[in-house]
Order: sequence, then C-alpha cells, then structure tokens
Amino acid sequence: MNVLKVSGWVIAAFVLPCLLLYVCLVFIPILVSIYSGMLDWNGIGASKFIGFANYTKMFTNDSVFWPALGRTFLLAGFSMLVQVPIALFVAILISRYVRRPNFLVSSYFLPVILSVVVIGQLWKTIYNPASMGGMINQILIGLGLDSLTHSWLTEPKVAIFAVILVSLWQYLGYHILIQFTGIQNIPADIYEAAKIDGADGFKADRYITLPMIVPIFKISVVLAFIGSLQSFDLIMVMTGGGPAHATDVISSHMYNMSFLSMKYGYGSAIATFLVFVCLLATVIINFLFNRLDKRYS
Amino acid sequence: MTRRSRMLGAVMAGVLALSLAACGSGSSNSGDTTTKPADTTTTTDNGNSNSNEKITITFQNIYPDTTDPKNKMLHKIVDQYQKDHPNITIELDSLNTDQQKLKLKTQAASKEVPDITIVNPAAQMQPFIDADLFAPLNEMIEQNGLKDTFQQGILDYYTFNGNVYALPDGNNIGVVYYNKSLFEKAGVKVPTTFEEMVDAVKQLKAKGVTPMAIGEKDSWTGSFLFMNVLLRTNGGPGFLKEVVDGKKTFEDPAFKEAVDAFESLIQAGAFQDGVTSFDYNAGENLFKTGKAAMYYMGSWATGGIETSEAGKDNNVGVFKFPTVNGKGNPDEFMLAPGSAFAVSKDSKHLKETLDFLNYFMLNYPKETFAAKGAVGIAQTVDGDFKAAGYSDMAMDVLKLFKEVKGGDLAFDNTMNPGTAQAHLSSIQNLFVAKKDASEVAKEHQTAYEENK
Repeated sequence: MNVLKVSGWVIAAFVLPCLLLYVCLVFIPILVSIYSGMLDWNGIGASKFIGFANYTKMFTNDSVFWPALGRTFLLAGFSMLVQVPIALFVAILISRYVRRPNFLVSSYFLPVILSVVVIGQLWKTIYNPASMGGMINQILIGLGLDSLTHSWLTEPKVAIFAVILVSLWQYLGYHILIQFTGIQNIPADIYEAAKIDGADGFKADRYITLPMIVPIFKISVVLAFIGSLQSFDLIMVMTGGGPAHATDVISSHMYNMSFLSMKYGYGSAIATFLVFVCLLATVIINFLFNRLDKRYS
Repeated sequence: MTRRSRMLGAVMAGVLALSLAACGSGSSNSGDTTTKPADTTTTTDNGNSNSNEKITITFQNIYPDTTDPKNKMLHKIVDQYQKDHPNITIELDSLNTDQQKLKLKTQAASKEVPDITIVNPAAQMQPFIDADLFAPLNEMIEQNGLKDTFQQGILDYYTFNGNVYALPDGNNIGVVYYNKSLFEKAGVKVPTTFEEMVDAVKQLKAKGVTPMAIGEKDSWTGSFLFMNVLLRTNGGPGFLKEVVDGKKTFEDPAFKEAVDAFESLIQAGAFQDGVTSFDYNAGENLFKTGKAAMYYMGSWATGGIETSEAGKDNNVGVFKFPTVNGKGNPDEFMLAPGSAFAVSKDSKHLKETLDFLNYFMLNYPKETFAAKGAVGIAQTVDGDFKAAGYSDMAMDVLKLFKEVKGGDLAFDNTMNPGTAQAHLSSIQNLFVAKKDASEVAKEHQTAYEENK
C-alpha cells in the first residue's frame, strides 16, 4: 500500500464504482435467486416459502434433472479434453509452420463471431435427413455408407452428440486464438538457447512450449468448462431440448421450468445449483493447475 | 506534488461515482416522462375528448411483421385514433409471440404490465388473473354495442368469476389442409375415417410424397393433432375437464385408444423425416411449397396458405378431421380461441385505455376484412367475402365454421403449465420412439398428480 503513496480512502473511492456495479449485477442477483429458489412461486402471483423442498425435489424426484446434468458434463468433458487440446495442437502447428498466421487464425475465429442462431440453422440443414437435402447424409449415401445415415438431430441417442460437435466446432477458433497468442508471447531466445543445446522441433515444444503455456491453457480450460455449463442458445436453436428432453442440458431445463412450466421458484433452485457447480469447478480446476504450475517452476 | 495529485485523484474518483449515480437516476427519470408533461400543456383544446392532458398509452401486441395484414390494420386504426385524439399517443410495443410471452411474464413479476397487452385464453390466463393484474372489461364492452359484435360464447374463455378480462383477436378451429394435385397423383381420395387417412398416408408414401407436414420442434403442434384424435376416441369433448373434476384419469381407455391411433399414424410414416427438428414455420413451409400432401393446423394458417406456392389456382382444399374407429363427430373441432387484448389494472390512464380498446375492437372486424385477414376472427363481419376476393379455400373454411358443434381447447389452455409441459414432451417422444399406450397414459397421470 505504501508504495502507492495514497490513502486507503482514495483507493476505496476508485474501487467503489466498479465494486458497486459488480455487486448490483452479480452478487445481488445471485442472492435473489438463492432466495427465490426456496419459494413455491409461478413468477407472477403470490409465493410461498418452502425452504429446501425445491432442492429435494430436484435431487430425488426430477426425471429430467440428472440426465440433463450428465449431458452438461458430457459437453464440458468433450470441450476440455478434446476441443482445447486440439486447439493447442493447431496453435503449435500454426506458430511453427505458418509465416503469416493472422489470416489463418482469423478464419478459425470466424464462427465465434457469427450469431449462434445462424450457426444453428446452418448445421440444421447440414444434419437434415437425405430426403430434405442434408449434406452429411447425402455424402454418406454417395460413399455407399447408407447404413451410417441418421436423422442426426431427432434420434434421441445421437442428437446430443450432433449438438456437441457443432459447439466444439464453433468455439475451436476461440481457443486457438487464446493459445496461439500465448505461444507468441514465449520469448524467442528460450527456443534459441534450446536449439544450441540440441532441443529442436517437437522436443522443444514438449519441454518449452507446453510448460510455458500452462497458465494460458488453464484460462482456456476454465472458459471451456464454464461455457459448456452455460450452453443454452445453440441447444434452443437446434433442438429446443427435444426430442422429449433427449438434448436438454441444465440451463435449458432451467428455462423450461421457469418460463414454460411456470415454476419460477424451482427454476431459481436449478440456477443456484448451477452457480455453485461453476464456483466449485473453477476452484478445482485452479487447484489442479496450481499443482501443475508448481511442478514446472 | 504528491498532495496535489492525491487531491486530483479523489476528485476524479468522486466524478466517476457521481456520473455513475447520474446514470442511475437518469433512467428512472425517463420512465416518469410519460406522465410529467401533463401539467405543462394546457393549450390543446380542439380534441373531442373531455380531457386535454397529454397521454401515452403503451400497446403491447404480437403483430411485428410488416407484411402481415394484421400489422397494417393495427397501424391504420392507431393512426386514425391518434388523429381524432391529438392529446393521446399510442406507443406500440410489437413483439413476436414467444418474445411477448416472456416479456409479459417478466413485467408481471415486477407488476409493470403495459396498458394493453396480449394474453392467451382459459388456463394460460389463470395465473395473471390470480395475481389480479387486469382490469375487468364488463362495462367497457357494453359501450357502443361492442359486446354484440363478438360471436356467441367466445368471451367465456376470457371470463373469470363473472368478469370479462380480455377481448380475443381470433377464434379458430383445427382443420386438415390438403394438396389436391398431390392427392390426385397418388390416387387418394379425401379420407372420411381415420383408417382411410392412415391408408392415404401409406399410398402417398409409396408415391414418394411426404404425406403430412408438422413442425414438431414446437411441440404444441403435435399435441394439437393428438388432442383432436382424443376428441374423437372420447366420443365428444370434455375429457380433460373430467380429469380435472376427478371423474376420469389419463389411464382411461379413451386416452389409450387415442395414443394407439396416433402412433399408428406415425408408424405409417405420415410425417417428414427429422420431424422434431422442424419448427412451426419450417413445418408449414413444407406444405406451402407443395412438398407435403396434408397439414393439420388451426384455421389461422388459411391466409398464409392461400397466397403460397401450393395454394395457387385453388390447389389446396380443407376437410374436417375424420372419425377414429367410428367414434366421435367430425363437426366437433379443436377450438382455438385466439390471443386476446387485456388492460392493466394499474394503468395510469385506465379510462383512456379502455376507450381506445373499445374503439380498436369496434373497428377491428372492418379493417381486418379489408386487409383480407378476416377468416377466423372472433367477431361477426359484415361483408361479402366472395365479392371481396377471398379464395375458394377461405370460403370452405368459413363454411366449416358454420358447422361447428362444440369441441375442445388445446391441452395447454385447459391444464396447468406444469402438466402441459410434461404432456408436450411425452407426445413429442412418440414421434421418435414407439411407446406403449399405457406407459404414455401413466406419464400423463403422474405429471398431473405432481402438478395438481
């Protein structure tokens, strides 16, 4: 504090505007939803305080909740274990072999800035049954693989994977950009020194790039995880959670409960649960990466 | 030096905080401006209204599409009214149906319902009535004979405890549209029984034509059709009401029979591939572009279909949903009393709002008739439809209206939202998986008991 040579009051005055904004937009809504999660309330009329009954129902007597949670984690798993590593691999390749990488990275980034509704509609036509001119199915038929054709978005077992694939495709460029930037920030002289010592090519990546990129990688993983937990728009556009809840995730279940079934209190309970899962997951991921950090430093 | 910079810092921070606060109060001020100018303007005396206060009425509506005849009608009536009443401004808040539903729920939660808004009939209106948000319209509809323009009995769906709370913009029935040339191509006749309909489906399918189009991603579409089957197997209307009254359960034979019949239609391959990923518009477009032979929908679709590619040269006809296993009466229809205009109880200008809505509804039939949107409105229309250039199909639909002998409301208009959602997803599931009728019945019963 003394380094700054200003009083605590001045610091407080500077922090205040942002803090107020943060409290109003983040903390108070969370507190409100914790409270309304304990209500039996349709969102409009009178409400009744019922304590933790919503939570008991959610955990023990909701046939959609657990499968939806499972699918949410499935999406998160694919995102963290498949998408982010692929992004890292691509980022390494780009920074190693491409001389003017900006164009390439921008192209990968393009789907991220496209509206989710556009992407959803685009992939819906790609996934369409062959009779409706769906691209994937027509290619499969063209290759003589008729037995592999599916109506991708409407078969309960396949649909969730079809949606996950689109989600991975869309945000791949985002993670490539993050990690590519991270790699660019690794000082070149380290590589030069390693080259003199005989570590070149992928050996250099193994012993220099990977350890140095850990903090950036962590950001990517946390973003991928939280993004997956909150995924909602793509599912709404592509399947609406259907057929018969087969692609419902936590957030779409929450939406259905709060606004369609008009159980606002119950929906808030799910929202609260989601907040805590996000917090818990962030803590766990941080803990794991801190250990990884320590090992390399 | 350090002291000065410290001072400067404190001042800057203060300015920041102030500007933030100013933002906050600014927005709340702007909310008040609709009422504030009242005392400043005293000059406009030429209006024929008894008050010269400047008034803004917010009119939330579901006609945002500028190509829709209803949108033109809306603007025409509103412009005329504003011309006649210079002190009144009608502020239109035009949203599409889903957005409006969400927005109204959010507004209702904070008790900030717009002066005029849109609600759906019967059970869907109930929560708003329970929360006491709307003004009764009993006196208003007596003025200028407005009440008599409405069809007999239609206002009952918007009446709670003897008070009318909303005025409907439409009154529709469920009908089957069919593509005449596709029927001819497959050598199919208009089915008069459900069994013939299933056969027709098979014949059409054999000719490579999609027999029926449906937009089952919006799961109410399938439910609407299913409920029509149930209306037949139950031998008449009122099944859901008897469930609510405790006289029947969902495990009643009539319900199971309806599920079986409905599944036989699906298993015969009636609907397009990938049916649960088609939303309402995409499903309807299949029929409109002549890619599907039949389309079950409320008669509100008539206007769109007659101007579509498939509807050219009177190529589209309509028929009543047939009997199922010899049961039911085809003159009983799925009834769809339309979305309706309601007035906020806490409106700051309740009197003016009621006057405007009275004027609006009085002119509604005339203007929609002129805009060629008068098939299936809830009021009686003076005018010769044929002479005004309505198509043969529209005339056929109008003829069906005359033959209506009662019927049922859609599931979500009869049951509470929780049960309705369970029902919608249970029916949607039938489109992708074959299920035992008793299992479907059980799902319904469980959901009903949980949400009672």
